[in-house]
Amino acid sequence: MSNNNITKDTPGLRGLSDKSLAWLFITPTIILLLAINIFPLIWTIYLSFTDYRSNQPGREIEWVGLENYRDVLTSPDVWGYMQTTASFVISTMLIQVAIGFALAMFINKNFKGNSLLTTIILIPMMLSPAVVGTFWTYLYQPQTGVFSYIIDFFADVGPLDMIGSVDLAPWAIVIVDTWMWTPYIMLLCLAGLRSIPEYLYEAAEIDRANALQKFWYITLPRILPFLMLAVLFRGIENFKMFDMVVSLTSGGPGSITELASINLKREAFENWKTGYSSAFATILFVTVFGLGSIYVKALNKVKS
Amino acid sequence: MANEAPTPAHTASSSTAERKRIFVRGPWEMAASILIGLGVIMLMQPLSITLYSYSFVTILVGTVGYIIVSHFPE
Amino acid sequence: MIRSAKMLKVGESSGLSKWIAGIIVTFYALVTVMPLLWIVATSFKSPPDSISYPPQIVFEPTLEGYVNLFTERSRQTDEYIEKLGPPETWYEEIVRERNMVVTGPSRFAGRYWNSIFIGFGSTFLAVVLGTMAAYGFSRFKVPLKDDLLFFILSTRMMPPIAVAIPIYLMYRELGLSDTALGMIILYTAVNVSLAVWLLKGFVDEIPREYEDAALIDGYSRFQAFIKVVLPQMKAGIAATAIFCLIFAWNEYAFALLLTSGNAQTAPPFIPAIIGEGGLDWPAVSAGTTLFLLPIVIVTVVLRNQLLRGITFGAVRK
Repeated sequence: MSNNNITKDTPGLRGLSDKSLAWLFITPTIILLLAINIFPLIWTIYLSFTDYRSNQPGREIEWVGLENYRDVLTSPDVWGYMQTTASFVISTMLIQVAIGFALAMFINKNFKGNSLLTTIILIPMMLSPAVVGTFWTYLYQPQTGVFSYIIDFFADVGPLDMIGSVDLAPWAIVIVDTWMWTPYIMLLCLAGLRSIPEYLYEAAEIDRANALQKFWYITLPRILPFLMLAVLFRGIENFKMFDMVVSLTSGGPGSITELASINLKREAFENWKTGYSSAFATILFVTVFGLGSIYVKALNKVKS
Repeated sequence: MANEAPTPAHTASSSTAERKRIFVRGPWEMAASILIGLGVIMLMQPLSITLYSYSFVTILVGTVGYIIVSHFPE
Repeated sequence: MIRSAKMLKVGESSGLSKWIAGIIVTFYALVTVMPLLWIVATSFKSPPDSISYPPQIVFEPTLEGYVNLFTERSRQTDEYIEKLGPPETWYEEIVRERNMVVTGPSRFAGRYWNSIFIGFGSTFLAVVLGTMAAYGFSRFKVPLKDDLLFFILSTRMMPPIAVAIPIYLMYRELGLSDTALGMIILYTAVNVSLAVWLLKGFVDEIPREYEDAALIDGYSRFQAFIKVVLPQMKAGIAATAIFCLIFAWNEYAFALLLTSGNAQTAPPFIPAIIGEGGLDWPAVSAGTTLFLLPIVIVTVVLRNQLLRGITFGAVRK
């Protein structure tokens, strides 16, 4: 790359050469990531071929081949948790895109005070998901919670047991996730809107395009990459969702809101099926990694 | 890995070889992405447990393929 | 990015549509902020007020929630309390009204301190390592550069639970379980990937000419980095640091699985504040308020710096 022309013109005048400096700067990070991320990952993959149980450290580890993978991938239960995860991801994404997109359009009208309001709207996504889940359990209390009270007040449906009811619990987690993360979708839509150069609209004006045409041919195509980026990122995050849902419903009632990560944690740290859950973890990881590669590609496209 | 879009340095010196390279890698990356997407759908669809059972293999092939393909010309 | 003020002159919306947009966004902002205000209000309620029906908007504020949050108490008989004589402190007085006596401080302050210590420690390390690596990746020819950068970002995407199993085993072997050091190392590793990714964007934007000039003036490359590049990166480093701090502050999954006593941070502790007969909501709300307040302040004060981090650099200033 042409980046380096300068460095060749001015060879290390004093002290370290560029090459050793580059390695000195980069290696610590790489070593740390190897030790804390990659090594554990390889270990997980190794364990996924064994019947290891971490609550019985003395026991001899037996190699079981692909048995754990077969167990995970033929289990109707795990299949069910995957579907639960899918409905969570799909419903949160649909709702958040609809609201976030609309909000971005409104905020882009540049009315007085929109900067302050935008800041307020951004607050939830900076907060700790686990703590957010905890305090929403309070708002969701059937009799005394303010959420149920307000819904009952306007819709007269009686006390709502958002967390305890089989029908409502999936919505309970979708609502909290929407409250937290709609601003993220909004933010990226806003970035897309603001990246549209003014002259496109000017040209459209000259061509006497109506508002709908302007939206369809100028606004939408320009926002779409940003929207895709947002959905891909949030989709991946919600695919591995753990903290907020654990502290809100911990998978219940029954296993209605048992997302894949929550079940994984249960198998690994409550049932201590380390080998089995390592296989499960590997499956989740490969999925996230695959989607992540697509995300990085999209991110670089949008950035450039 | 060539996940980054071509740098200005690349585009500036776009020889025929490099133009060819971009031409080749694109569709392959797309194919791998589609395979990953397909695998993810298989993993989470509610219709057939057989599709679910083969989802992981699909995602794995797609992901490994993606890594290989993104190194194609070099 | 085009500044908002400059654009939309053509499609300049009419006064009415601005009004409508303003009202809708204001309504949404109110819906957003309501749950938070409700929690702050609850932290000043008494336990009976917190579970009354209908939920009360007007109530007599008390610090009982905060007292309960910071103290351990035990219920005593009236005779026992009478024997103790009059309460010596204002918080004793609040506790006595419920026929209880303070038996000692609770663990909340320690958990909060852990959050601060681990958060700042890991942020400092992540930013130092990240700045160096970002500069290295931005300025030097590194073999497999794109692969390494992708590898760094992909580590950020790992589901925490998927790597938690071996980290749990590894930490058990190394004696790092439930230690602040272990948590700092772990959070540093998670944050450094974000730090490299964000900071590289900032370094890329600093013109090379500045360094060239310094090199011609006889600086070594390292000196040029310290004296020329670093000062230019200040804003970027600050933004990255805040982002790392927020991540470490909010993290739950690792904290839940790898800490139990000594090094536990606040997020796994807050849900476990138990009162008599279920959760003590005013105390939980008090803990939540104290825990979320710094983040709310940071978000409001530094919103513009945060935008880039939120979107992995997709939003440029």
